[in-house]
Amino acid sequence: MSFLLRLALRNLVRNARRTVLSTSAIVVGVFYLVLGQAMVGGVEEGIVRSAEDGLTGHVLIRAADYPDEGLSHPVDVLLDLPEPARAVLQERARASVPRTLFVATLVAGADSLRLRGIGFDPVEDVKVFPRETWKVDGKVPATAEDGVLLGAGAAAMLGIGPGTRVVLQTRTHAGALNALEVPVSGIVSTGNIAIDQVSAYVPHALVAGLIADPRPSHFGVRLAHRDEAPAVAAALAPALGDGFEVVTWEEETRELLRMQKIRRRALDAFVGVLLLMSSFGIANTILMAAHERVREIGTLRAMGLSRRGVLALFLMEGGLMGVVSGLLGAGLGGAGAWWFSVHPLDLSEMGAKGMGGNIQFSTWLYARFDPAMLVAPVLISVAVALLASAWPARSASRMAPAEAVRAA
Amino acid sequence: MPICELRGVSRTYGSGPAKVHAVREIDLVIEAGEFTVFVGPSGSGKTTLLNMVGCLDQPSEGEVLIEGRPTAGLSDRALAHLRAERIGFIFQAFNLIPVLTAVENVELAVQLGGGGDGRARARQALAEVGLTGLEGRRPNQLSGGQQQRVAIARALVRKPALVIADEPTANLDSANGAQVLELMRELNEKHGTTFIFSTHDAMVMEHARRTVFLHDGRIARDEVRAAPAPRAGEGR
Repeated sequence: MSFLLRLALRNLVRNARRTVLSTSAIVVGVFYLVLGQAMVGGVEEGIVRSAEDGLTGHVLIRAADYPDEGLSHPVDVLLDLPEPARAVLQERARASVPRTLFVATLVAGADSLRLRGIGFDPVEDVKVFPRETWKVDGKVPATAEDGVLLGAGAAAMLGIGPGTRVVLQTRTHAGALNALEVPVSGIVSTGNIAIDQVSAYVPHALVAGLIADPRPSHFGVRLAHRDEAPAVAAALAPALGDGFEVVTWEEETRELLRMQKIRRRALDAFVGVLLLMSSFGIANTILMAAHERVREIGTLRAMGLSRRGVLALFLMEGGLMGVVSGLLGAGLGGAGAWWFSVHPLDLSEMGAKGMGGNIQFSTWLYARFDPAMLVAPVLISVAVALLASAWPARSASRMAPAEAVRAA
Repeated sequence: MPICELRGVSRTYGSGPAKVHAVREIDLVIEAGEFTVFVGPSGSGKTTLLNMVGCLDQPSEGEVLIEGRPTAGLSDRALAHLRAERIGFIFQAFNLIPVLTAVENVELAVQLGGGGDGRARARQALAEVGLTGLEGRRPNQLSGGQQQRVAIARALVRKPALVIADEPTANLDSANGAQVLELMRELNEKHGTTFIFSTHDAMVMEHARRTVFLHDGRIARDEVRAAPAPRAGEGR
């Protein structure tokens, strides 16, 4: 068998240019499969992370029928958590923090911008909404006196930076107009378009004054693991009773993830077409090889190689093409995936062109790289090559040795 | 026991009006150690007969026995095994595998027969045909005579009972042809290997101890020479 393998390898090298051409489509297909899956996986992970770390957490408690379209954050219904719900959170959540989302107009000199105010607890908020990806110019406000932390996109639109004094206008819980002049303590890039483009973090103490009510509009909940979210949401719902709504990170990202699934299917279809094309190339190569080597086949048969042996030889040639091209494609795709898992693509420009609002989408596109993801594409490549070689190999194995041995 | 026996062997190709009788009702016994040549014009059935003796083809009628064992009904695998173990082939066009070196071409025969120590045996076989030092060359780096020597080494490396040579000198000049024939006769005498040739070449016929003349697929004459022809260089 090892000698046949050596012979198969030599036969492939014999017409190296043809072999390379035939296998290049598989290399490209596997490359796209690996890199594409890594990028799509990275986008999915980015969507989930953006929701988890941005505005939703693992579980979000808000008022019933809370609007989730556009930049709309009413403060007419604010929350007092019932004791049973507090007990559930105490028992099952790693942390929970209050937040108040409100719509405000931020005025800086002659310019103004409508944005989302995120009322937050400067100390506790980080327990639910981590800040590892944050890049802050200036500082995160620690007290009401420090002022507001403005999203980088909004700051760029207004042309302001840390230290600028701005006026924050909004309506109170009762609907009256209210305004405060505050300093900008810092400019933040969180990597979440929904925050960076149209949001400002405002300490709770300031928000309580602005809306004339200390109660929050939301509670964000962090769990030990995101998979626990549906169960905790199910436990919270009866504990909260009417007037509340519980949403999970999964529900918040469902639409975006559904779009990603479509993207993944489109990628699979594209790769499928490439692999189909490459299978024709490989079948053609093996068929040509069989026709060019009729006398060799006859000689091998005369020397004692059985039909099955001839079949094995040509399948080995096809399989080797699959292995080599699969490994090459997976290697290149894996290298690309690893690179983008370490060096993300910056999508902030795309975000600046209108992906703001409630769509939580990371401006950093990381690839999701896992060495295990390379195995299936290589196996697929080998399977395609073997299937493509099967018919020509069978054709070669069925040549009559007496005729083949004297072929021109 | 004869090495090969043909009983009432016929081989036809095609059917109906296009039916061709390549070989008709051949009865032939080849004894061990013979140096036999099939002679006849083109289309006389020499190659067809060699194919059936070499188990590359099966007769339409009659039976072929190799070392007393009928070959009819043997599976493809069993026939392949029989060829690997007991029969060596030498072809007019040498039929070496171009991607393998001389020693690998010979080693291939050992490997296909399932034998061990293939490389050493291949080197020894090449030495026996006078190709020491050329083991690493590929067929396209060898002369026609050297290629045919590699083919002879390949045919003999497993020490088969029977070697079938189809026009082995047809692609060689007379000097190389004579050397190759001399080599085969030496091996025939040294190892007692049975050789069966097909040829148009008078020089080959001179070396043969037995000549089977074929005409229109039948044996027209079967001559056995009492003593072998003088060797090249011995003079006549």
